[in-house]
Amino acid sequence: MDTIFRNALSRYRGQILGWGLSLAALSIYMARFYDTIAAQKEQYMKLIDSFPKEMLVFFGTSEAMQMFTPSGFLNLEYFSYMSIIIGIFAILAGSGMLASDEENGTMDLVLAHPVSRAALFVGRALAFLAATIGILAINWIGFLIGLPGTSLNINAVEMAQPFVSLFGILMLFGTLALVLSMLLPSRRMAAMTAGILMVASFFITALARLDENLEKVAKLSPLNYYQGGLAIDGLKWGWVAGLVGISALFVLIAWWRFERRDIRVGGEGGWRLPELLRLHRRQIAAGNKV
Amino acid sequence: MEQTLAIYTQGLMKSYGSVRALRGLDLEVRQGEIFGFLGPNGAGKTTTIRCLLDLIRPNGGTVRVLGIDPQADPVAVRARVGYLPGELHFDENMSVESALRYLNSLRADKHAGSRKADWEYVRHLCEHIDLSIKLAIKNLSKGNKQKVGVVQALMHRPELLLLDEPTFGLDPLVQQEVLRLVQEARDQGATVFFSSHILSEVQEIADRVGIIRQGVVVEVAETASLINRSLHRARIRFKQPVDANALANVPGVKVLAQDDGQTIILQIEGEMDRLIKTLAAFAVIDFETERPSLEEIFLAYYEADRNHVA
Repeated sequence: MDTIFRNALSRYRGQILGWGLSLAALSIYMARFYDTIAAQKEQYMKLIDSFPKEMLVFFGTSEAMQMFTPSGFLNLEYFSYMSIIIGIFAILAGSGMLASDEENGTMDLVLAHPVSRAALFVGRALAFLAATIGILAINWIGFLIGLPGTSLNINAVEMAQPFVSLFGILMLFGTLALVLSMLLPSRRMAAMTAGILMVASFFITALARLDENLEKVAKLSPLNYYQGGLAIDGLKWGWVAGLVGISALFVLIAWWRFERRDIRVGGEGGWRLPELLRLHRRQIAAGNKV
Repeated sequence: MEQTLAIYTQGLMKSYGSVRALRGLDLEVRQGEIFGFLGPNGAGKTTTIRCLLDLIRPNGGTVRVLGIDPQADPVAVRARVGYLPGELHFDENMSVESALRYLNSLRADKHAGSRKADWEYVRHLCEHIDLSIKLAIKNLSKGNKQKVGVVQALMHRPELLLLDEPTFGLDPLVQQEVLRLVQEARDQGATVFFSSHILSEVQEIADRVGIIRQGVVVEVAETASLINRSLHRARIRFKQPVDANALANVPGVKVLAQDDGQTIILQIEGEMDRLIKTLAAFAVIDFETERPSLEEIFLAYYEADRNHVA
């Protein structure tokens, strides 16, 4: 498992550095940008007041003034859309964790060695976990570099809290993509389905802030339990635990499925549904004969 | 019995949806032999090998590899097996050396019977098939990737080699070298089970041959006896033109060619007694028989199947 983990992590190396460093640069820029915004608060207030209130609410900030608090500013300018941005990585990595090796034909060779399916699964899952934490950690370090010298009075622990919230949501969508890749015929289909669900969740959560009728539906939306930058003022651990708990359930389902199913080779995946329908028709036909 | 066999399957069945790939496959491969597994594409060769390694799960039947049930303890089986997949793919970002070292590191010492490769032996294998370990996988031709596959299968000196089309994509000189390495592995005590549709190479190195047809093993025999047995080709020259139908009606006889009625080439399946008695009615100048190649025997099986289906 150790070899599998190290190999998988080395394959994530480029993504960890690419996603991590580029978003860290953005986080440094955003931290530095706060004082510029704060210095022109009155002009910005006038500008924001001219926008419909719904626009701010859509991005998770209830009032214009909230935009000038450290948590409100970072939420609006950074964390509100980071769930979607890094969510793309989580979905691609989760859906490809095992299915991409099956589709490109490299899994047969690895599993012909004395490696159990469980060891392969756990090694890859831990590497995915480490890669996600790595990207978030580089991002967090970016803020720690950018914050000193600004009027954003946020310490390192407070700054880590939105990343914990972000971690929960990334795990959820990453493991959802993983479990879909074990159930659907192809990795691409799994990634696409998880992506649609993520974007739908984003819109439902945002629209529910504007329309009370959507509140009940929004309770089923994972992004409803993502605090974003507002977690700087206090992290809701129950929400994080819930997201991580559901992620763990997805992991268990994916593991169960991977342990039991055939290892596919390129283009071999297929829907189970038509097969089940065919079986059902046969049973009906057999019943009619009797 | 199954304990002493390298591979044992009984009534092995595997379906992909409505497609029945294996329909009760019975197979016994003895330890220390080279066993050629012959069949055209889609006959079930790769499915059989993937069942042996627990990459896919059979729908029924019994499988034992080196006395172990692959579904019960797949790691123990894989620890003692070297495998060359039919569809070979590597991580393209690796060099040959890093790919081989990575695969070698998967053979942890804690698994009983698992051996890590001796790197001197790896170099020996690479030299023999003219493979540079410094090259990047993504820059290799299909044939050179196949060479990497051959090396990784052989490098830890496994007890059982499962080779799916081992010479696929290789030039004739390297093909010969690979076959020589396979024989060398057998001489060192390994059992070799290899699938192929290139009959000449099976004929060249296999001790025994199994022919698979539509998911069932239809024939298993010593390679030499299979070639010598049952199928013959006869070239007969008559003094006067003869109606070939008179010979074609003899059971087991098939007319392959007829030049001018005086020279007829026949394929005879089974004993020649009936044919010779029929020929007694004609004036025969010359009668030559030839040993058929394995290819002809193989094709005869498939032709019989086509006729049966028709």
